[in-house]
Amino acid sequence: MNQNESLKIVIVGHVDHGKSTLIGRLFYDTGSIPEVRYNEIAATCKAQGRAFEFAYLMDALEEERDQNITIDTASTFFKTAQRPYVIIDAPGHKQFLKNMITGAASADAAILLVDGAEGVREQTRRHAYVLSLLGIRQVVVAINKLDMVNYDRNRFQKVENDIRAFLHSVNIVPSYVVPISARDGENIAKRQGKVPWYKGPTILEALDTFGNVRGDAGAPLRLPVQDVYTWDGKRIYAGRVETGQVNKGDEIIFLPSGKLTTVKTIEKWQETDLSLAGAGECVGITTEDELFVERGEVISRRKRKPVKARKIRASIFWLADRPFQAGKTYTIKLGTAEAQATATAIEERLDSSTLEVTERYAAELLPSEVGKVLFTLKNDIAADLYSDNIRLGRFVIEDGLLIGGGGIIQGLTDESGTSAQRICLNEHLIIGDEGSSVDLAGEGGGIEFDVSTEFLDYLGQGNRVLFRLRDLTQLEPVAHLAFEHDLVFRFSRAAEGINIILYKRGVLDEVVDDVDDGTYI
Amino acid sequence: MYDHLDELEAQSIYIFREAYRKFENLAMLYSIGKDSTTMIHLARKAFFGRIPFPLVHIDTTYKYPEMIAYRDRMAREWGAELIVGRNEEAVTSGMGPERGRLVCCEKLKSEGLTRIIEQKQFNGLFLGIRRDEEGSRAKERVFSPRDKNFEWAYKDQPPELWDQFNTSFEPGTHIRIHPILHWTELNIWEYIQREKIEICGLYFAQNGKRFRSLGCMPCTTPIDSGATTLTEIIEELKTLKDPERAGRAQDQENAYAMQKLRAKGYM
Ligand SMILES: Nc1nc2c(ncn2[C@@H]2O[C@H](COP(=O)(O)OP(=O)(O)OP(=O)(O)O)[C@@H](O)[C@H]2O)c(=O)[nH]1
Ligand SMILES: [Mg+2]
Repeated sequence: MNQNESLKIVIVGHVDHGKSTLIGRLFYDTGSIPEVRYNEIAATCKAQGRAFEFAYLMDALEEERDQNITIDTASTFFKTAQRPYVIIDAPGHKQFLKNMITGAASADAAILLVDGAEGVREQTRRHAYVLSLLGIRQVVVAINKLDMVNYDRNRFQKVENDIRAFLHSVNIVPSYVVPISARDGENIAKRQGKVPWYKGPTILEALDTFGNVRGDAGAPLRLPVQDVYTWDGKRIYAGRVETGQVNKGDEIIFLPSGKLTTVKTIEKWQETDLSLAGAGECVGITTEDELFVERGEVISRRKRKPVKARKIRASIFWLADRPFQAGKTYTIKLGTAEAQATATAIEERLDSSTLEVTERYAAELLPSEVGKVLFTLKNDIAADLYSDNIRLGRFVIEDGLLIGGGGIIQGLTDESGTSAQRICLNEHLIIGDEGSSVDLAGEGGGIEFDVSTEFLDYLGQGNRVLFRLRDLTQLEPVAHLAFEHDLVFRFSRAAEGINIILYKRGVLDEVVDDVDDGTYI
Repeated sequence: MYDHLDELEAQSIYIFREAYRKFENLAMLYSIGKDSTTMIHLARKAFFGRIPFPLVHIDTTYKYPEMIAYRDRMAREWGAELIVGRNEEAVTSGMGPERGRLVCCEKLKSEGLTRIIEQKQFNGLFLGIRRDEEGSRAKERVFSPRDKNFEWAYKDQPPELWDQFNTSFEPGTHIRIHPILHWTELNIWEYIQREKIEICGLYFAQNGKRFRSLGCMPCTTPIDSGATTLTEIIEELKTLKDPERAGRAQDQENAYAMQKLRAKGYM
């Protein structure tokens, strides 16, 4: 059974623009609606005295059909020759944004639907922004109800331009903008020939162009401890590998406690001698040393580990009816960890539809608003920047008993108040045939160096070391290192990214003084 | 290779472990069907062979004898604690589908369940429902709160995202936990085959008929089928046009029958 992994697609957009109808039509045109189900919908519509509503496939609740509106998100399943899909319908009404986010948060890709007659509206923009906050970058735009404007090409292009411009402002480039009519079934699964000027894919074809997004084996290991079982005389750390891979015999560190040990076994029921587990797998881990580690600690390697955070700066979206308040303490849940977090400041308050900053240092956020918030935590938590690791770079905020909002981490600071991670140069130095290097590209947050005499001796022997930087923010500590220890600092353009070569003056200067040919041997 | 079934399995294990950690007093509703039997297999994967909570079966007295025999044999084999709940009052009063199918479901199943939850003070209950079964189930959360009257506030469900679940609740209320919500009927069968899970014999064809969904005798109709092996069932499933629960009479009573039953605490 070699099925591909499934892909989850969410359909978003303004209320009444035809999201549920699109799904119903897609199923109908591919023969995926069971006959009894079709008859049931037809009977309901007849009783209501209206034409057949494809939306009723998803809008199954009585209240939804009475008001012709989607209240809650629903999932349905669909398969093409390429792969299985989960299709997630999201409600468009502003009042149900929490349900829209519940649906969209698990999606790998999205179809953003815009009514071609009405054009871009408030929730079109809000949903587009939510997609970008949630990190959904694979987006197809569908311009719907073109039957109402006689499939007019100019009208289509006007709406296309509007939506492209807005998507650009939230860093989304749609892979296609498809002219459709969900009611008539134009460009859903078939072409009816109403838009001869359009040469691109149908919605169905566009789905299969989405790429798989999970399982980057090269990402650093993150295995949050979900529970600790002491069964059969063993102490098993249960958890899911969120990113990367864990191997038997790996030297690992638990954070925030900082405890070090080695992986003794990887355990699953009825499987013996497992040597590794990759992203997405739920496993148990036993360790060489008897540690007493609790739920919430994160297993990683000593290199490229998460930050032990005390302060978090995040973009949060608020969904609860009660406002989110500056100065109040909330429980945040990140991975399997929980922490009491005081909202020290709401630095910016944003209208999530216009993206306008409505206030700085605000007292509260209302439902559906987005804010840039600084949290101060009562206890350490292992976290990553969202840009480094999506899984450990996001959290939810509890308001009373229930989840009230979510956050995307943009800044992290540890207990000492510096946002720096200490990088031991000796440990990070890789000496290879192609030269020596220190790879900083995988380090999230700020960095500081621990400089050992061995490292300086190594340079003193005339060796050059290439530093691979993640971004320009790492220039400063590297430059500082060069200044402090009187090293030559130069850029190398041999490879992608920002690379710096450091070496001791005098040893090889003559040879490479003028031209930087990119070598660093 | 890590495939679609592995992905579904891992998600279920994650949900089980999350619930086990967060709830003091858990139970799993065991309906004897293929879904709850698969759910038990997944629980054993999550807990390294154990089932660390009791199984609850709501006995309506209308189940097929084969189902009851299978239930008791499997519970022994798994080493599970089995609690059989029954709405004695309704049973004694002669409740049956002739008094109305929906009334019967509500009395014997929903109320039978309510009683056992109250009696045993369960605050978390695993249920093997799936989103592809029916419209109101398609809208369920993985952790779904029920109020003091066991009612489901389907018009105002809390957000649930990034595998962070709502696990806090007021006293007297409970949370329904749905570990296989994201599976389809076909996924279940493919997984049963892959994992060699033993299921109740009524699913396999005898004399040209088999059950696609198992329930109470008066309200469950078998389908015409010659499928006597898992491979044949899976092949047959790919050609069937009717929905899975077409043979369950209570679903067909009226347009929103399931929604209404479920709002009041039905599975
Ligand atoms: N003329 C025309 N009407 C359409 C089309 N697509 C949808 N509609 C109608 O627009 C109305 C709203 O459609 P829905 O699919 O319910 O809209 P929605 O986006 O799902 O709405 P919410 O989920 O409530 O946000 C229905 O009455 C549909 O019949 C279309 O292509 N052409
Ligand atoms: Mg809708």
